[in-house]
Amino acid sequence: MPSSTNEPGERPGTTLAIVAESLYLANLLLIPGIAFIALLVMYRRYRDAPPLAFSHIQQTISASLWAGALLIVANAVIILLGGYDGPYTWAVAITYFTMAHSTLILFGMIGLVRALAGQCWRYPLIGRPLPENCPK
Amino acid sequence: MKYKSQSVAKLYFIAAIALFVGQILFGLVMGLQYVVGDFLFPEIPFNVARMVHTNLLIVWLLFGFMGSAYYLVPEEAERELVAPWLAKLMFWIFLIAGAATVAGYLLVPYAKLAELTMDDLLPTMGREFLEQPTITKLGIVVVALSFLFSIGITILKGRKTVVTLVLLIGLTGLAVFFLFAFYNPENLVLDKYYWWWVVHLWVEGVWELILGAILAFILIKTTGVDREVIEKWLYVIIAMTLITGLIGTGHHYYWIGTPDFWQWWGSIFSAMEPIPFFMMTIFAFNMVNRRRRNHPNKAAVLWALGTAVMAFLGAGVWGFLHTLSPVNYYTHGTQITAAHGHMAFYGAYVMIVLAMVSYAMPMMRGRKAANSPRSQVVEMWSFWLMTVSMVFITLFLTGAGILQTYLQRYSDQPIDFMTVQDKISLFYWLREIAGVVFLIGLVLYVVSFFIGTDDPEAVEKIEVDAETA
Repeated sequence: MPSSTNEPGERPGTTLAIVAESLYLANLLLIPGIAFIALLVMYRRYRDAPPLAFSHIQQTISASLWAGALLIVANAVIILLGGYDGPYTWAVAITYFTMAHSTLILFGMIGLVRALAGQCWRYPLIGRPLPENCPK
Repeated sequence: MKYKSQSVAKLYFIAAIALFVGQILFGLVMGLQYVVGDFLFPEIPFNVARMVHTNLLIVWLLFGFMGSAYYLVPEEAERELVAPWLAKLMFWIFLIAGAATVAGYLLVPYAKLAELTMDDLLPTMGREFLEQPTITKLGIVVVALSFLFSIGITILKGRKTVVTLVLLIGLTGLAVFFLFAFYNPENLVLDKYYWWWVVHLWVEGVWELILGAILAFILIKTTGVDREVIEKWLYVIIAMTLITGLIGTGHHYYWIGTPDFWQWWGSIFSAMEPIPFFMMTIFAFNMVNRRRRNHPNKAAVLWALGTAVMAFLGAGVWGFLHTLSPVNYYTHGTQITAAHGHMAFYGAYVMIVLAMVSYAMPMMRGRKAANSPRSQVVEMWSFWLMTVSMVFITLFLTGAGILQTYLQRYSDQPIDFMTVQDKISLFYWLREIAGVVFLIGLVLYVVSFFIGTDDPEAVEKIEVDAETA
C-alpha cells in the first residue's frame, strides 16, 4: 500500500489523494476490478487520513461504483432491450459506452489534477458531497 | 508584442482563417452530396470537393504552424527574427501557389491538371492528401526550407529553450517527411508503405511535437507557472509521442500487403498512442490549476484547455476505438475512420492553431495582452459552438460507421455499399446539421475580431489570498 507520507510543503494527504485518483483511472483504463479492490482496501485502511485524502478516496469509490453502473449495467440493458443481433443496438451501445467511458476518464483526470494541487474535488453528478473541512 | 518581426505571423494567421472558412464550406458541400448525390454536380463533383476540403485543411494548418512559429520563436529566442522579409515573400509564394492549386482542382479535370503541370516528368499526383501537382509540391519544399532557415537561424543565434528545440525538431520532421511525397514507386505496397511516412508520421508524429511546443508556450505565458515545470512535462510527452507514434505507423500496414508482424506491432504500439494525449490533458489542466496569474485572455486559455481535452478524445479515444487489428479488420475505411479523423484534426491541430491565434492576435493588433471582454465573449461562444458541434459530428459519424460495419461487413448476409449508404442517410443528415452549426461557430469566430475593437481591453484579475488579506 502507498505511504501516506507527504513531500515537504505538500498539504497533508496529498500523496494518498493522488494514489486514489490514479487507482480510479487505472480501474477505468488498465486493470478494472483490481484497482477498485485496491481502492476499497485504501478506504478501510485510511479512515483516519487527513480530510483531503479521505475525500478523494470517497469520491473515487463513489465514482467507480457509478462507472460500473453506467458502463456495465446500462450497456447490458441496451443490449438486452435491443437484442444481441440488432445493428442499431450496437450503434447505440458502442457510441454510448465510448461517450460515458471518456467522460468518466475526463472526470478522473480533473480529480487527479486537483489531487496533485492538494485540493478536494467533487465529481460532477456522481460524487458525494465534500466534507466542510476539505481544502478547495 | 516584444519584437517587431513577430508581426509577420499576422499575415499567416489571416490567411489560415480565410482558408479554414473555405475548408468548412467545401465540407458542407460534400456533406450534402452524401445525401443529395447530384448537388452542385457537375460543377463540383464529390471527389473534387473532398480533395479541396482535405487539402485546404492541410494548407491552412501549415499556415497556422508557420505563423505560430514566427510569433513564438523571437519571444523564446529573445531576438528579432532572421530575415523577416523572407517570411513575407514565402507567405505570398505559398498563398499564390495554394490558391492556384485549388483553382486548378476546381476549374479543370484532374487528369488535365496533371498534364498541364507536366506531372509525367516526375509523377507524384493521384494519391490521397498528396494530390497537389508536382510543381506545387516543389514550391512547398522551397517554402519549408526558407521557413526552416529563418526559424532555425533565429533559434541558433538566440536563447535556446526546450519549447524552441521541440518546435524545431517537429518542423524539421515535417519538412523531411514531406520529401516522401516525391517517392512514387510502381509497387503499390511500397507506394502505400511510404505514403504513410508523410501522412501518419506527420499527424501522429512530428505534428504532435509542434502541438506540444505551442501548447507549452501558451501555458508558460498564460499561467505564469515555472518554465522548468512545463518543460519537464513537455519532454515526457514528446518522448511518449515518438515511442508510440513511430512504430504505431503499423496500424496502417495491416491490409496493404506487408508482413504479418505488423498486426502485432501496429496493434500494440498504436494502442499506446492515447498515452501522450492523456498526459497532455493532465499537463494542461495541472498548469492552469497551479497558475500564478489570471491572464486576461480567457479565450486563449479556453482554447488551450480545449485542445488538450479534444485531442485526447479525438486522437486518443476515437483512435483507439478502431486501432486494434482484429477490430480494424471490420472497421477499416468506414465512417468510424471519418469520425476519428474529424475530431482528432479539430482537437489536436485546429484548436491549437486557434489557441495561438487567440493568444497572439490581440497583441499584434496593438493590445497589451487581450481583447475586450465583449470580443472574448463572442470568441468563447464560437469555441463552444464549434466544439460541441464537432462532438456531434463525431458521434453521428460513429453511429453511421458502426451500422455500416455491421450491415456491410459483419452481418451473416452482408449488404452492398450503396444500399448501406442509403440506410445510414439519417446520420448523414444529422452530421450536416451539426456541420451548419460548426459554420455558425466559425463565422462568430471571425466576427469576434471585429467586435469591441474600441472597447477597453480585459484586465488581469488579481487574486487576493484570503489568509494574507
